[in-house]
Amino acid sequence: MLTALANPARFMSYSAWAAPLCLFAALGLFAIGLPWALFLSPADYQQGETVRIMYLHVPAAWWSLGIYVFMGAASVIGLVWRHALADVAARAAAPIGATYAGICLATGSLWGAPTWGTWWEWDGRLTSMLVLFIVYLGYIALWNAVEEEEKAARLAAILCLAGLINIPIVHFSVDWWSTLHQPASILRAEGPSIHPSMLGPLFIMAGAFFLLFAALTMMNMRAAIYRRRIEAARLRGANA
Amino acid sequence: MMEGGWPYVWGAYAFACAALAVLTLAVTLRLAHWSKRARGERRP
Repeated sequence: MLTALANPARFMSYSAWAAPLCLFAALGLFAIGLPWALFLSPADYQQGETVRIMYLHVPAAWWSLGIYVFMGAASVIGLVWRHALADVAARAAAPIGATYAGICLATGSLWGAPTWGTWWEWDGRLTSMLVLFIVYLGYIALWNAVEEEEKAARLAAILCLAGLINIPIVHFSVDWWSTLHQPASILRAEGPSIHPSMLGPLFIMAGAFFLLFAALTMMNMRAAIYRRRIEAARLRGANA
Repeated sequence: MMEGGWPYVWGAYAFACAALAVLTLAVTLRLAHWSKRARGERRP
């Protein structure tokens, strides 16, 4: 089924309605999640109002990791099976992942200043997250630096796969090293440790971030396919 | 409970909303540009 859906012509057909649908669904979830997170959810008994930053910071962190894993999977498919859409999908997702990683770092810093008393600390979690952000930027730069698209795709896929080693480091850094950052409080074997009243807006915001990623990735892929079609038509015209 | 904190909250939401808005606008404009050019190429 995936192979059938990943046919470029079929992708253009279903993404024509799926991308705007995901975009409007994301806007709808943001319209619910933002006021819920800002005004309706309770303040924390220790952190007070600053806990509201969690509703941005945590979804951005989750999906910046998730998007990188998606890019890794697409890179493997591109390298091994040379699938026409795999490289396009990995490249299309990168700016969204980089933006989410940037939001995670910036909101984390704004959360750390009042709660930890520092904007930044070179500990395992913060540093590995910064490395992820830099890898995203490097991946985007590599695609733009190499002129021949096939070569760029191959080199970018190798860089992406090498960067995958950082994903478990980001995730487990709070368990492996002593850090200011709190340990996992939601995605853990014993279940979430935060109050249930905070889970609703958190999951709504996580859904909004995911749908926005899906919409923007499809839109980026559509733009890339249009560009490739134009270039292919030009080449055919030049050879005729 | 820690008092205050709203300036940090507003700062975080302003930054995140601005970043997401700029990203969405950039992707939308890029798609509009290439789809317009592709339509132009199809015309005889």
